[in-house]
Amino acid sequence: MTQIESPKVVKKKLFSPIWLLPVVALILGAWLGVKSIKESGIEIVIHFPSAAGIDIGKTLVKYQGLTVGKVSDIGIDDDLKGVNVKVVMDYRADPFLNKNTLFWLVKPKASITGVEGLDTLFSGNYIAIQPGDGRSATEFEAQREAPAILPGSEGIMVELKSPKLGSIDVGSPVFFRQVPVGSVVSYRLDGNKQIIISAFVQEQYTHLVHKDSRFWNVSGLKIDASFSGIKVNTESIASILAGGISFDNGSETEKAQNGDTYTLFQDEQTAIGGITFTLSTDSAEDISEGTSIVYRGITVGNIDKKQLNEQTVLLSARVEHQYKNLITPDSRFWLSGAELSLKTIKNVGRLITGSVINVLPGTQAPAEQMQFELAKQAPDLLNDAKLILNLVADSHSGISNGAQVRYKQLPIGQVLSVNLSDDFAHVEYQIEILPEFKNLVTEGSFFVPESALSIDASLDGVQVATRDLTTMLEGAISLVPAKNKTLVQSNSTLLLHESIAVAKSLSAQQQMMTLQLNSIDGADLVEGSPIYYKKMQIGAVSKVNWQADTDRFLIAINIDKKFKPLIKPNTLFWRNSAVKIKADLSGVDIDVSPLKGAINGGITLGHLDGKTNSEAQADLMLYDSEELALMQAKVIELTLPVSAKVAAKTAIRYQGHQIGEISQVKLEPTLTSLKAKAYLYGAYAEHFSRADSEYFIVDAQISLAGISAPETLLTGPYIGVIPGKNNNTSKQFVAQLHARLDANIAANALRFQLTSKQLGSLKVGTPLFFRGINIGQIDGYRLADSGVDITLFAHVEPEYAHLVNTSSQFWNASGIKIDVGLFSGAKVETQSLETILAGGIAIATRDVTNEANTLSENDRIILHDKMAEEWAQWQPEQTK
Amino acid sequence: MSTEHSAAADLPVDVVTSSHSSAQAHLQGNQLGLCLCPVCKKLNRTTNSHCRRCYSSLSTRNYASVQQSWALLVTATILLVLANVYPITLLTNRGVVTNDTIFSGISHLVQTGMIPIAIIVFTASILVPWLKIVGLATYLAAISFDLPISKRKLMVGFHIIEWIGRWSMLDLFVISLTVALVNMGQLLDAKPAPAATAFALVILLTQLAAKVLDTRLLWDRLEKTHDTN
Repeated sequence: MTQIESPKVVKKKLFSPIWLLPVVALILGAWLGVKSIKESGIEIVIHFPSAAGIDIGKTLVKYQGLTVGKVSDIGIDDDLKGVNVKVVMDYRADPFLNKNTLFWLVKPKASITGVEGLDTLFSGNYIAIQPGDGRSATEFEAQREAPAILPGSEGIMVELKSPKLGSIDVGSPVFFRQVPVGSVVSYRLDGNKQIIISAFVQEQYTHLVHKDSRFWNVSGLKIDASFSGIKVNTESIASILAGGISFDNGSETEKAQNGDTYTLFQDEQTAIGGITFTLSTDSAEDISEGTSIVYRGITVGNIDKKQLNEQTVLLSARVEHQYKNLITPDSRFWLSGAELSLKTIKNVGRLITGSVINVLPGTQAPAEQMQFELAKQAPDLLNDAKLILNLVADSHSGISNGAQVRYKQLPIGQVLSVNLSDDFAHVEYQIEILPEFKNLVTEGSFFVPESALSIDASLDGVQVATRDLTTMLEGAISLVPAKNKTLVQSNSTLLLHESIAVAKSLSAQQQMMTLQLNSIDGADLVEGSPIYYKKMQIGAVSKVNWQADTDRFLIAINIDKKFKPLIKPNTLFWRNSAVKIKADLSGVDIDVSPLKGAINGGITLGHLDGKTNSEAQADLMLYDSEELALMQAKVIELTLPVSAKVAAKTAIRYQGHQIGEISQVKLEPTLTSLKAKAYLYGAYAEHFSRADSEYFIVDAQISLAGISAPETLLTGPYIGVIPGKNNNTSKQFVAQLHARLDANIAANALRFQLTSKQLGSLKVGTPLFFRGINIGQIDGYRLADSGVDITLFAHVEPEYAHLVNTSSQFWNASGIKIDVGLFSGAKVETQSLETILAGGIAIATRDVTNEANTLSENDRIILHDKMAEEWAQWQPEQTK
Repeated sequence: MSTEHSAAADLPVDVVTSSHSSAQAHLQGNQLGLCLCPVCKKLNRTTNSHCRRCYSSLSTRNYASVQQSWALLVTATILLVLANVYPITLLTNRGVVTNDTIFSGISHLVQTGMIPIAIIVFTASILVPWLKIVGLATYLAAISFDLPISKRKLMVGFHIIEWIGRWSMLDLFVISLTVALVNMGQLLDAKPAPAATAFALVILLTQLAAKVLDTRLLWDRLEKTHDTN
């Protein structure tokens, strides 16, 4: 019991290791606390116009999909203009929360280019943040739309200038070789002329964008259907619907910088363009937008646009970059299409694809702003050496551009162009002669068209000449060289004759003398109508011209120079009649002219014997017939009563002698008169063209006394004429229906008047008998104004004038006077049978005629009914 | 130490006389020179240093356990604070990530009208751990600082704590079930947050603290207190 256990000395540990546990927990807790304090976030305020789509506690702030904050509260701002959204931002976002930091609300957006913010469909809208620089800030104003540059996008942003937006929209893709490499992030109007489209290219593709990259619009579906084919261009379905932009990477190596500005071209062609220039042409026929520009068969460019200028059509052309050296200020362009002729078939494809424009590069250094002429023909490098000539022809002879120029049927050149001359009087051909044949063309050379088929059917026979097919299609021109040695200069003008014959005739014509003939009608003449001298052709009619002012014809004739001696002062021309039949009692004379002359008409040259032509040489007459010509007939114009039965060939007679003839009669439009053209034979013309000449119509008159002008019963009426005395001449006369009463009375005839109670059977023409001899006649009669008697006008022929004087007695000897008396028996008294039928006046004179008893015109003598007995006894011995 | 020594000296007497007096009813094995093997519960003499059955070391009283218990309790308290402050679940609902602390989860349940569940969760997640910690702290304090608390009250409290302590794992159980079942990616997903770990540790540590504590010390103390009182 007393055993005392040695005390166990237990060393009491002051701290059990278990205490490490709370320490660790504390440290852990502290660390967590510190950490949570540190990560507790920064509260910022973003001012939004509306709180729509923002939920407290739900709406997050995201940066590149990473949640960096959360909306903790929403409150209406002080002026009720919007809401203040309180956001607790992740502590790590602190460096981003600067003055220029942008916030905007991202909502789900489904558009054709894609669904954007699809995550927001589930997670709800979120607020996106784009860090900016500047001072640290806690209050922000929200953006209405996402800013152009997406947060964290490391690509580059380029600005594209475009005149119109097209279907490009925000989000429209940007393609590179149809790979989407970016998108349009915004667009804005720059002034009112152009639109600036901001396009973003993702970082991994930024190396594709160079300083000289070209951007073009690939919006929609571009269908370019032309003769060059149908081209359907599109990038992707999205771009069809939503538009898109494509670009190439240019050729420079320098990469594009952020914010570089480019032009947005309308299409790839314009964009890839290379260099552009303009071509001017007269007509854009066969050229469509897209027509290729070809060099050695390789398409190097296209026509972009056709534009009408004031005078020309301007074509905007573009040549691809790699071919830009082809385009120099001295390049030449020409249009070439399919050639389809019997000669060649070339480029048939172009019938379908359309024409192309060929380019021939020049040698100069390329320049900016170039403008070229678009030629219709390929340029000829030998041009300078070639001889260019202008040919002038009266009419186009079917020779087309490109037709050959030949010499001895060997091509020596070709036709360049066919044009009307400036005054439209001629056709002008421009031809070129190859240098080696230059020497063929000398002064005086001329050209004639080759006709493929020339059928020369004339009275000389039928000649058919054919050439090769080319000639038939294109025509050709043959050179007819002259013997001259003088070479022709370039651009001189030569003649293109219709044929060698024509050429020869023309050249012969130069050896001819030309005369102008005056004719009242066309005389059935045509160009080429022959001119004969003694039935030998000595010339031809070169032209028939109608003179409007005189209604006459001027006939130009050419007469071989060798026949010049025939043209003398007394030369006359008359019309050839085909057949001339002269039939009279002495026989029938038929004169047939040469057949050619009979068909074409013709002119005969003749001479007046021993006389000179009264007409001036300059105004030669063309007579209707040889007779007229030889008569040197003069033309007059007669106006005839409409009842006159005259026709062409009606004679004009003076006292029964023909002194002219009517050549043409026509009824005046007024229907009241006839106009006749008449010839007066030259010898008599002077008398009968005096102004006071009288023309009248002589027709047959049949009466008891006989038939006057019986020949007219056969020949028809003729025109009588009484020459005038006036010195003035006239060419216009009025013909009367009847001759003047005293028309045929000699000037020195004895005129007087008779009075009678009755006219009886007296009439105009009733003869005056002196001892049964007709010495005169009644010229007319008139009823006295008082009505008591009649006055007869009579005359006595000059040779008998001395037989009649104031002592003469006149009595009516008309009819038969039978005096029957119971004791005296029957007494029958008559003058002559004629007087029985036609009446007559007998005259007896008592005294010898002297000066005292001469009858004068106004003397009135009584006409007795019957003869007094004593009158029969009167026997004066008259002396003439 | 002297008092312990005297007590130890008195033990055999107590053991002998335990059946005679009321004091004997409170006679402790320690006083009889006997102790239980903490592992196999074999009654050994205190003189033995090792259990005669299983050779584990024997001790009459583990005075270090108080310290250990304290340490564990302090740790649990710290972690419980963390578990309440930090979110316990990370719920992703249609992409919206929601951090829920224990309390926010309960208030959410209350807001949605599920008050009974809220009460259960509240009890299991907040009330019980705190009660346990407070309770444990009380006992430890009672041991360490001889607080004058009646033996009966302590006994009742201790039993309650022990019984209820196992239910405090309810929260974690719910979380682990949710995490396992609700896994639909962005649409709906639940994940344990840091507080869950802390909470689990709290439960573990409080259990450990309760386990580690040599309750005999408490009874020793209670006996003394009873005597003095």
